Amino acid sequence: MLELDSVTAGYEPRRPVFRDASLSIAPGESVGLLGPSGCGKSTLARVAALLHRPDAGRLVLDGTEVTAWRHRAPRAQRTAVGVVFQQPRTAADPRLTLADLIAEPLRATGRKAEAADRVAELAPAVGLTPELLTRRPHAVSDGQLQRACLARALTLRPRWLVCDEMTAMLDASTTAALVAAVETYRRETGAGLLAVGHDRVLLNRWCDRTVEWKDCLPHPGA
Amino acid sequence: MNARVARALDAVTAERAEDALLSVRGLTVRFRLRGGRTVAAVTDADFDLAPGECLALVGESGCGKSVLASALLGLLPANAETSGTALIGGTDLLAADEKTLARSVRGRRIGLVPQSPAAHLTPVRTVRAHLEETVRALTDTPRPGRRKAAEDAAERAAFPATHLDSYPHELSGGLAQRAATALALIGDAPLLLADEPTTGLDRDLVERTADELRRHADDGRGLLLITHDLTAAARIADRVAVMYAGRIVELAPAHRFFGTTGPDHPYARGLLDALPDRAFTPVPGMPPELSALPEGCAFAPRCPRATDLCATVPALRAGVACHHPERPRA
Amino acid sequence: MADPRTHRLRLWTSATVVGAVALAVLLVPPLVHLDEQAVDLSQKLLPPSWDHPFGTDDVGRDLLLRCVYGLRISLLVGLVAALVATVLGTAVGAAAGALGGWTDRTLMRLVDAFSSVPHLLLGIFVVALFRPGVWPVIASVAVTHWLSTARIVRSEVLSLRTRPHIEAAISGGASRRRVATRHLLPAVLPQAGLAAVLMVPHAMWHESALSFLGLGLPSHQASLGNLVQSARSSLLAGDWWPTLFPGLFLIVPTLAIAGLAGVWRDRLNPRRRSELML
Repeated sequence: MLELDSVTAGYEPRRPVFRDASLSIAPGESVGLLGPSGCGKSTLARVAALLHRPDAGRLVLDGTEVTAWRHRAPRAQRTAVGVVFQQPRTAADPRLTLADLIAEPLRATGRKAEAADRVAELAPAVGLTPELLTRRPHAVSDGQLQRACLARALTLRPRWLVCDEMTAMLDASTTAALVAAVETYRRETGAGLLAVGHDRVLLNRWCDRTVEWKDCLPHPGA
Repeated sequence: MNARVARALDAVTAERAEDALLSVRGLTVRFRLRGGRTVAAVTDADFDLAPGECLALVGESGCGKSVLASALLGLLPANAETSGTALIGGTDLLAADEKTLARSVRGRRIGLVPQSPAAHLTPVRTVRAHLEETVRALTDTPRPGRRKAAEDAAERAAFPATHLDSYPHELSGGLAQRAATALALIGDAPLLLADEPTTGLDRDLVERTADELRRHADDGRGLLLITHDLTAAARIADRVAVMYAGRIVELAPAHRFFGTTGPDHPYARGLLDALPDRAFTPVPGMPPELSALPEGCAFAPRCPRATDLCATVPALRAGVACHHPERPRA
Repeated sequence: MADPRTHRLRLWTSATVVGAVALAVLLVPPLVHLDEQAVDLSQKLLPPSWDHPFGTDDVGRDLLLRCVYGLRISLLVGLVAALVATVLGTAVGAAAGALGGWTDRTLMRLVDAFSSVPHLLLGIFVVALFRPGVWPVIASVAVTHWLSTARIVRSEVLSLRTRPHIEAAISGGASRRRVATRHLLPAVLPQAGLAAVLMVPHAMWHESALSFLGLGLPSHQASLGNLVQSARSSLLAGDWWPTLFPGLFLIVPTLAIAGLAGVWRDRLNPRRRSELML
């Protein structure tokens, strides 16, 4: 289970973006989180990916309560959640080739030896050719770069995937290709998914269930 | 479709050119890179746009549609070479010098609705200041009338008068988009060019923005909508031009394109099938590099219908550039 | 953005001047066995001639030789001082940006405090603490010049820290040290390096100013500032060469270094790097 329980989070002290948001995802389940821009759904996604420490509330990941975020979180916990962001340009280190980008999590965790095999395995799964793997971000399109960013999120075989507006900048064909790659991975590994977005049609088609942002918050008067 | 019908359609196209607001013929843009490589960003684009009409130019990112828009506004970088013609009210946009473009085209004949309106506005000035300055630059409204003119422009774009004194960062995405549209409308330009106006907006906001743009077309303006958002295009376009690897591969009435008949070009069909409310299956493979286009039809390597014939580039005839369209031509 | 032709011209002129300067200061002293301190009162204040292309000074020393030696010492001081200032500034800026909170506030207030004192005054204060020599001058330049680097590096680190690509690295299991050395530092170094190169001319002028005021290097040492200083009296007498040539030796190389740095800055500019908007 991935359980977010009464989470309050924000970027300035005493001025939270939202209060008491709750959401839980069963193992292997895919949940779409739907809401207008600026409502805080991306912040909640960052909390779920252990990238933003909430001001209050609990995150329970597969039965273990998360007590530390970002670098302080144990590596095994951090890498159990893969993340894909909205903007591939800012999510990719401009100095790395796409192959190095995908292999980076293995290098960072001291498993460099497996890198070549894993990249060779992931590249076709997200639709990248060997030639594209040798290029750097500035020499590929947004769609191609986002494919590499998805591959990077899958490198360490996470049990959970958080996709924050993964396809908002992309055309229909690339969107369908990336969603298909995520679903293939989930079929093979049984990973759970939190897909954040504002496109109802897309999330309804993609996910097992779709949750409105306002239903994550406590009901007034309840 | 037989030859007679195709000829009749070509005749309609010719007639269209006569009362067109914007008439683009053979528009080609090449970028010369270091090392002698050439990027074929736009090749032989032909289309017309009538007053009151919305033409949606759709395609994947990197297909050349934004370069086409920049070419029309004369905003290409120095290493670009253009050829062809783009006539608007007797001026050839591709041949005009910077002075002509600045004085009589941008804002006066073509209003630009930008991709990220918040970035398009100066952060330290209010919306009112932006509008009044543009009124001063584009019209000869005397000073006392400018305030009124700015307010009228805001009203035309449905920008609420209560927010006129706000700074850009105080506006929501939707209001920033309306402010940018209000600026584009001030010069009373007969042609509006909207470059990805809905990217990154919420679905509700996409629909509202699209509907507002449509309203300006209904007021008699021509609207060139450049977008990868097929849903937005389906909502407001009269005609659809599909771009692939720098070429327009299909140009069709929107009701037929999005309706039960569907497009004729296999790529256009694939693009529609990728939508989540349709088959949700991607077009196999990836678009080619504009610097290394295959010989012949650029879509052939990804095309289920490709044959030996596709080694030659198909011409755009009767609205489709394909050797094996869905409904075969004569 | 300058057009490509101007850009190339600027690159080549600057590179040629900097190359010539480097060759002169590196090769002339070891290869030409002439004493730049050799006094010959019979030859004093000679205008430029074949024997003395830059003329001689008021005690008959060859000015060309003294200019080369002066440039050598000024460049050395400039380079070392810029390096020290950059390392100091990068360290403080990176620490403030990466650690944040209380550390950040303390360090940045310190930077503000230093900035509020006029540069030259602070520089004079530092040299006044020591006996005249090369190291006090370097210290003086470094103390007054690390501030801007610290600010630049801090803001770079701050903007990078919440970038999705850093977050992706954290999520991919990267340790704090790996993020710092593999993702933050390489992104900051080009900016810091540029700041260092841009600082060399500043440092040279700062040294010259101190020497001109008689607070820099010992007056017998042929630094450019000292040369201009000692030529003042000759200028009043109408002898222009002892002032002109050291002055040119200060202006031309510093402009060339700034020119090279400018080319470098343009290369760093992402808009130029992408070359194409598709």
